[in-house]
Parts: sequence; structure tokens; C-alpha cells
Amino acid sequence: MHTLYLWPDSPVVSLLVLWVLSQLLLWAARGPMHRALKSLGRVLSGALRVTARWCKSLSTSLAWRDREMMQEIGSSNAQEKLAKEFRRVEGSLAKELGRYPALHRKMDDLVSRLDADYHDCGNAPPSPPGWAEAAAALAKVQQQNGDGVVRKLLEEMHKAAQDSEKKALQEYRESTGKRHKILGSMAPMWKELTGNAAEAGKSVAAALETAKQVDAHMASYEKMRKGEDKAVRAMGWQSTQLFVASLFVLAVALGGAFVNFNLIALPMSELVPSGSRIGGIPVSTVAALVIVLMEVAAGIFALEMLGITGFFPKMDLLPASRRRIVLFVAVGGLFMLACIECSLAVLREQIVESASALKQSLAGISDRSVSDPAFSRIPVVGQAVLGFILPWILAMVAVPLEMLIATGGHIALTVSAGILALFSTIARLLGHGARYLVEAIRHVYDIYIILPLQLERLATGVRGGLSVREPAQGRARR
Amino acid sequence: MRKLILAAAALISACSSGRNYAHAIAALVDVSGTYVDQKPEVIGLIKKGILPKLNPGDSLFIIRIDDESYRKGNLEGALTLDVRPSKANAQKLAFAKKLDEFGRKRERTKHTDIRGAMMLGAEYLKESGAGWRTLVLFSDMQEDLPKGVKRTLAADEFSGMRVLAMNVKRLNADVANPTAYRARLASWHEQITSHGAKDFQVVMAPEKLDELLEN
Repeated sequence: MHTLYLWPDSPVVSLLVLWVLSQLLLWAARGPMHRALKSLGRVLSGALRVTARWCKSLSTSLAWRDREMMQEIGSSNAQEKLAKEFRRVEGSLAKELGRYPALHRKMDDLVSRLDADYHDCGNAPPSPPGWAEAAAALAKVQQQNGDGVVRKLLEEMHKAAQDSEKKALQEYRESTGKRHKILGSMAPMWKELTGNAAEAGKSVAAALETAKQVDAHMASYEKMRKGEDKAVRAMGWQSTQLFVASLFVLAVALGGAFVNFNLIALPMSELVPSGSRIGGIPVSTVAALVIVLMEVAAGIFALEMLGITGFFPKMDLLPASRRRIVLFVAVGGLFMLACIECSLAVLREQIVESASALKQSLAGISDRSVSDPAFSRIPVVGQAVLGFILPWILAMVAVPLEMLIATGGHIALTVSAGILALFSTIARLLGHGARYLVEAIRHVYDIYIILPLQLERLATGVRGGLSVREPAQGRARR
Repeated sequence: MRKLILAAAALISACSSGRNYAHAIAALVDVSGTYVDQKPEVIGLIKKGILPKLNPGDSLFIIRIDDESYRKGNLEGALTLDVRPSKANAQKLAFAKKLDEFGRKRERTKHTDIRGAMMLGAEYLKESGAGWRTLVLFSDMQEDLPKGVKRTLAADEFSGMRVLAMNVKRLNADVANPTAYRARLASWHEQITSHGAKDFQVVMAPEKLDELLEN
């Protein structure tokens, strides 16, 4: 500060002169300074506005891409569900239709038998008509006519008519009894027929239910294809849920992998040279890590071959026999690794026990009661079981991994779009802020040189403040 | 193809021998008259503090500090552990027996050639090729060379080594004048670090040895 003084001995005079000089200089440079500040404000706010627009457009583009992706995923999911339902329908129809000829034949047989029985029931001999009236007429003739021969004849005829009527009645009763018997034997057939009809009805109801589900999937597919907001939003929410669930399961699996790794890292030093290192890490540690990763890889292949996951589309094209071979190799490998881990877990316990015994021996402690074999078997068995089970559990990690990868794109796009939208808003706010800040600086500038400005106003007689003269070229351009 | 070769070369260079990560320790045990009474305690410290800390591939040399320590015969025992932990444990047990035998030996020397033992230990440590090298001194740090014995340390005598002075016994003169004791240790510190040692530390508490030997 002192170096600025024109007369170091009189700072007040120096400062006063400096102030006057600055007033004059700034008053003279007011026009160009105002234009410079204006331009600066325009440049700053423009640049920030462009940044905001770019961020916004990128965010919109990402959101659109996410929407497209969701639509695509939703459509393919609906397609898969439809295909699954159709496969079910196909299977069901093949099964039901396969059974249908037999059912049809059975029903035909039953109907034929019923028809035949019905006919049998209908073929009853008719009762002799008019015998009662004839007998009554003969009885009347007998009473009117007194001739003995005729009487006897008529009596005989009457008797014969009565016998004949009795016989006809007897036959009729017997025939009716037979028909009732036939009708009685038809009851189980009716029952069977009713059962078959009910079975056919159930199949039809199941087919109708499946058709309803197919309709629902089809409607969802149509919504996705049309890109309805509600359907796409629902799909996005479902993906987020899946992502969180997969992340949680993977975190748990990672914990399992860590336990598994620690279980085999120590005994691996007995199998591989523990002194050697790769990038500073002991080979035994790397080998243990490789074993854990191999288990995961085997699990991925096994689940891929079972059709649970779909990491490798080319695998789907393999013939069933080859798929079975790969599945066998993967499951076999997993089993072998589980067995190796089981034995390593046992070996680990032995090494730990041996190291503990060594330490005790070196420390001169001879009391062995702490490592009673009766109790030491429990951790051995526990570790062995854990060593055998953990690889199988780790193999299941393929499912959440696939889910995480499948839904990770949506999450990444959503988060990126959100961040870009936030940046856009911030840039817009900063742009406004910069414009008003530069404007404020201009006013502060004018406030500083208020004295020469007022003098200029009085001298020129201009009212309402002085405006900055713009260069002619600049005005023409604007 | 070139990129593949470069990647393979990088991978091969990343894979390195365990020798660089091995730890070699030379324990120098003073058997001179002023320190010999500490011998059983020192043997116990080596057995409890150093031996269990050794990992497969590590080495341990036990060197006796006596009248003229720069003799090959002063090496009381050497051990390089097998890469398999089970075999290494067996080696440790066998070596512990050897240490017990050394502890039982009744010997007492008139002079104390600390630098000679340090030179011998440094040579063994260098020869081991281990990445981590530590000299552990069990002595009162009062050197007393016999007549005619000269010990001049090379500039890089202890290059890349850590030197730990354990269980330093305070002599009667030290108790009477602690300044002399401190000056003696400071002089050792200066001498050792000026000849290439990474570090020189006096360890009072035996339990601290564990963390000091961590590599």
C-alpha cells in the first residue's frame, strides 16, 4: 500500500490525489467499461445457458433412451410370458386333445350302449287290446241267453279270455320288470357320462383361464408396444425393485464368498507354494480366490444350461444332448470343488491346531486340556459342512447377477439423467446469477464515480441520469 | 499381437518370486561376561517372539557374540522355512530344540565383538536374498574388542536392513550415569544408520517385537 503513495510523507494527500485520478480515469472509461461488463455478462450467462441447455438435452435424451429400453424390456418380457403361456396352452392342448379321442370313443360307446338299452326298453310286447271288453260282452250274452251248450261255450270262451288276459298281464309285468332292470343298469353309465362331461368341462375351463391370462399378457404387450406412460413407469419401478433386491442378494453372496475364501485361503498354502507371490499377493491367496471364482463360473454355466439364466445366447442354440453334457460338466465340477473345499476346511482346522500347538510348545506350555479332541470335532464338522455347502450357494449367485446386469442399465441411465437435469438447473441459475452480478457491478461502478457523473449531468443539463453512448457500428449490428 | 505380447510381459513381470517378500532375521546373542546371565531370557524371547512370527520361506540365523564374532563358527543355527506350513511348523519345533541346546551351553567370554557379529549377520542376510532383512541384537551394546581386532564397517554394510536392539541390559555404570548409557545407544544409532541401515530401534517391551517384525 505504501508503495502506491505518491508522497510517502503525506499519505492523506497521496490518497486524495489517487482518488481524484481514479475518479477521472473511471469516468472517462465509463462507456467502454459498461460495454465490457455487458459483454462479460452476456458471455457468462450465454455460456451457462448453453451448458444448461446441453445438460437438459442430454438428460432428456438419456431419459428417452431409458424409456425406450424399458419399453423394449417390457415388450420382450410380455413376449416371453406370452410364449410361455402359449407353450403351456400347447402342452395342455396336446395333453387334452391326446386324451380327447379316447374320451370321445368312451362317450360314443356309452351312448351306443344307452341307445341299445333304450331300444331294449322300448321293445316291450304290447298288451292284447280289447280282451277285457270282449270278456264283458261274453258275460252279458251268458246272462241273456239261456241255452246250455252256448252257455258252456261262452263260459269256456270267457274263461279262456280271462286266462289270456291274466297271461298277458303277467307277461306285461315281466317285461316291465326287465325294462326296469335295464334302466337300472343304465344309471352307472349315466354317472360315467356325467363324469366325462365334467372332466371335459374342467379342461375347457382351464383353457378359458389360460386364454384369459394370454389376453392379459397380450394387453400388457400392446400397452408396452404403444409406449403407454403408465406401463413404462410400472416397468421402470419393477426394474428398480429388481435392482435393489439383486444388489442385496449379491451383497449377501459377497459375504458368503468372503467366508468361503477365508475358509480355504490358509489350507491352500499347503497345496501351492505359499512363498511365491503374484503382484505382491501370495499365490495361495490367489489360488483360493480363483477357486471361489471357479465355483461362481460353474454355477453360471449350470444355471445357463438349466435355462434359468441367459448370459450366453449362443448356448441356447446348442442341441439338447450337448447342453446336457455342459450341465453335467458344470455340476460335476461344482461337486468336485465342493469336495475339495470340504477337505480343505478339515485341513485348515488341522493347520490351526498344529500352529496353536507349536506356539504353546515354543512358549513352554505343556497343558493340552484346551484342545480336547471331544470338543475340537465340532468346529471340524462345522467347517467341513460349510465348505461343502457354500460352493452350491455361491453357484446361485448367477441369478441375481443377471438381474443386476439387466436392470443396471436402467438405473445408470436414470441416475445420469437425474444428475444432468440437476446440473442443467444449477447452470441456469448460475447464468441468471452471473447476469445480475455483472449488472450489479455496473451499478457499483457508477456509484463510485457518482460525483463526476453528477457534475457532467449539471454541465450538460441531462435529466434522469446519463446513458452510455454505444458505438455506431455496434448499434447498427444490433 | 504386439499389445498381446506387451500384456503377457506385464503379467509375467507382475508374477514375482516369493524371495522378495521373504523375511530374513539374524538374531545376535551376546555371551560375554556382562550379559551371559540374560541368555535364558533371550532364548525364550527368540522362541516366543521371533520363531512363531516366521512364515513359510522366511529365514532365521542365530549368531553368537563373543570375543571374535566374525567367525563362521559363531553361527549357532540357520533355518529357512519350507513353503508348506505343516513342514515349516516341524522345522520350527526342531529349531527350538537347537535353541534350547544353545541356551544350555555354559560359555562366558571376556570381550564383546558386536560389530563382528553384525558384519557376519549382515552377510548371511544378504546371501539369503530376502526382501526384508532384520538384525536383532540381544546385548548390553557395550563393545569391548580384544587387542589386535579391528572392525571397520563398509558404507553399505547394513544396506536395506532394520536393526533392533532388544533386551538391552543396563550395566552398573549405566545405572549410575544414564547419560552415558543414552550416549552409547545414540552412538550406535549414528554408526548403524550411517552404514546404510534403514532404521535402528531400541526395543524395551518384548511384546513390541511382534509388530516390529511385521512386514
